[in-house]
Amino acid sequence: MNAPAIEKPASAEALAKALHEAASHRLAVIPVGGGKARGMGDIPKSCDVELHTTRLDRVIEHSQADMVVSVEAGITLEALQAELGKAGQFLPLDPFNSPGHTIGGLLATGWTGPLRLRFGSPRDFLIGVRVALPDGKLATGGGRVVKNVSGYDMMKLHYGALGSLGVIVAASFKVFPKPLHDVTVTSEGGWDDADRALAMPVAPSALEIFSDGRILARYTGSRDAVDRVVGDLDWTIEEPSIWERHSRRAPARWARIAAPRSVLRRLVEALPRGAGWWASPGTGVAHWAIASDAPSVLDMRARTASAGGTLVMLDAPYDFMREVGAWGTPPKTIEIMRRLKAAFDPDGVLNPGRFVV
Amino acid sequence: MALPKQVADELRRVVGRESVIDSANDLRIFERDGSIEGAMPDAVVLASTTEDVAGVMKVAANHRIPVVPRGAGTGLSGGAVTIRGGIALQVTRMRRILEIDPVAQTALVEPGVVNQELSLAAAQHGLFYAPDPSSQKACTIGGNAAENSGGPHCLYYGVTTNHVLGMEVVLADGSVHWVNGDTPDRIGLDLCGILVGSEGTLCAITKIKVKLLRVPPSIATLLAAFPSIETASQAVSAVIGHGIVPAALEMMDSVTVGAVEAHYHAGYPTDAGAVLLVEVDGIAESTRELTAAISKILGENRGYGLREAQTPAERELLWAGRKGAIGALGRIKPNYYLHDGVVPRSRLPQVLSAVGEIGEHYKLPVANVFHAGDGNLHPNILFDLRDREVLHQVESAGEEMLRAVVELGGALSGEHGIGLEKAAYMPWIYSDDDLDAMHRVKDVFDAGGTLNPGKIFPDPSRKAVHLAGRTGRAIEAKWW
Repeated sequence: MNAPAIEKPASAEALAKALHEAASHRLAVIPVGGGKARGMGDIPKSCDVELHTTRLDRVIEHSQADMVVSVEAGITLEALQAELGKAGQFLPLDPFNSPGHTIGGLLATGWTGPLRLRFGSPRDFLIGVRVALPDGKLATGGGRVVKNVSGYDMMKLHYGALGSLGVIVAASFKVFPKPLHDVTVTSEGGWDDADRALAMPVAPSALEIFSDGRILARYTGSRDAVDRVVGDLDWTIEEPSIWERHSRRAPARWARIAAPRSVLRRLVEALPRGAGWWASPGTGVAHWAIASDAPSVLDMRARTASAGGTLVMLDAPYDFMREVGAWGTPPKTIEIMRRLKAAFDPDGVLNPGRFVV
Repeated sequence: MALPKQVADELRRVVGRESVIDSANDLRIFERDGSIEGAMPDAVVLASTTEDVAGVMKVAANHRIPVVPRGAGTGLSGGAVTIRGGIALQVTRMRRILEIDPVAQTALVEPGVVNQELSLAAAQHGLFYAPDPSSQKACTIGGNAAENSGGPHCLYYGVTTNHVLGMEVVLADGSVHWVNGDTPDRIGLDLCGILVGSEGTLCAITKIKVKLLRVPPSIATLLAAFPSIETASQAVSAVIGHGIVPAALEMMDSVTVGAVEAHYHAGYPTDAGAVLLVEVDGIAESTRELTAAISKILGENRGYGLREAQTPAERELLWAGRKGAIGALGRIKPNYYLHDGVVPRSRLPQVLSAVGEIGEHYKLPVANVFHAGDGNLHPNILFDLRDREVLHQVESAGEEMLRAVVELGGALSGEHGIGLEKAAYMPWIYSDDDLDAMHRVKDVFDAGGTLNPGKIFPDPSRKAVHLAGRTGRAIEAKWW
């Protein structure tokens, strides 16, 4: 494979033009943001052009009173949080392999972190999106209001689609006030302690359990409520900076297991003996640092699938990725997905072979 | 226009003789939804099973006849109106709650299950279904999913799409599919996400899996009066600006308060320019602390007559007034035309003053009752449909109000859908390229165009936009 051409357009219009130019020559285009999820997906069949969004890095508008922000896709999460922080606000997104994710990359990959327990994923707080399409058009969906049913929910079409239908160039979010009170506690008590915390009347905003039995729980909200639940739990207070360290995790070989939360424990306990993992039992998501062979991954994927879940590879060396495949068995609705792909990218120039469609 | 006999016979073979209605008198019941414009279906089919729905879709596709899925018919944008005739596909017989899983906190329901019935059933397990449209005593979960409905408590909990985990759907070709499911991250495209809120134009919904939430142990409901809409709006911004997102934050203007108080005797202060209804929930420590903080902020922003519901019955009464407000407006005029624009919250004073001016200009009474925390306004233009002359005025006033919403950076609909009545205005907020992208989605799911035709997308041949010289152009989207 020849080295791909690197394009770094400075505007959404220029990016759309570059995409159209490549598509009209049927060149394979790989969109790149912060490059933090390059290992995600199957190995592309070809890559003629890398289309970087990194120069699209502006905050377009942050309305503090409306708690809405619009940004270009190439801004990093950290730069956006710094801007929002000045107003006492934040985007409740804390993905792994941080820092350095771009907003566009996070939307395309659908990566989330521990705060998903309380705030959901960007699927829940993305309110507008602008996308460059292979035919050179720029299509906008949604808007800048927190509640909107004007036309189809185009945000859902592109969130988690790994850039297979278009390249996200801008996005608007509902943002949140920084919590009045924010306390993190830790225990060594394993799943039983995790279940106990999740069953209490005040739910944690994040709760992570690790393969060594350690638990981190984060409580946000009113001071009295947080103090009461933290008192009831009687765990050890932990430094809040632990979350920033946690978000840096990015093993060289890793997979994301997502399953109905009632079966997550059973799945994680079926991982190979001594495996390293961390999980959000409240959301049903676990991350596995793979130290075993490819058949062990295929075995776990089969177990996960039969429990109604998915196992997706987030990164691995090429040979390993080829052997296990990034995604596993496609869903039964794959034909509908292929038709959507064909409607937006008829020549299949975007990320060919990398995503499910 | 009656269906050809052959088609009617085919439909009867699918659902049974008694489940196809095609006599003109009986069809009249299905002519309308909760909006203004109606149109007669050629037939109504009462589906009882997914197989019924799939069979009807196949017949319709073969004969290229429009199909409009329909729940309780409480929609407020003409989504269930058979504007091009064809079949109204009634799903209200599919009303079983198939499963409530208290451990997973999910429910699997048929589309005709009434919203409030689901929450009542879930309450036995200490759970509830969060989206609560004001019509929740009648509206169906299927209709809620089709319209991506909201409600007062969506300020904190989110709208329907945030609570739907997966659906069984029937496409225009009669094929049946499950989209998404219980797993938090699926493989491939988010089909469920694109289908929720598609207003019956992409699929019919035959089963819905939803999230249930734990009933909060403590709920506090506050009522405060304000001298004007502007001061109440300011208070709304102040509450949220303090980092407090209540479960609900609702506003009613003086016209609404007068009608509601006359009807419900809920103790709303009738001398007020506007009233705010604020609710917080959580554990007792949390609601106490938040109630104190909110009371202080409301007081600092000229709120007076502050009252906290002391009993569950009192809370119910305060909410009965809010949720029954539109019915109570019948005391003023028999008909209403309700818009649903949504603006950035800080623009509420501006948009409400524009709404007031437009009402005065057209000499039409306007009552505002709405989700202030979300910036989602609901101006009710009140009129008497027996005066046919007034209808054009009402529509023009509604249109001008929507235009004001859009010019302030807002959107056409926050929770009622585009449907029939707002389709012509879609070019105000979306460019041709934006609409083209949505059309591509439509074509993927319904290439033949038989599913709920005439909705969402502008159809210039049908309805002229009243405002001269203002049509067909998107307002420049400055935020990009």
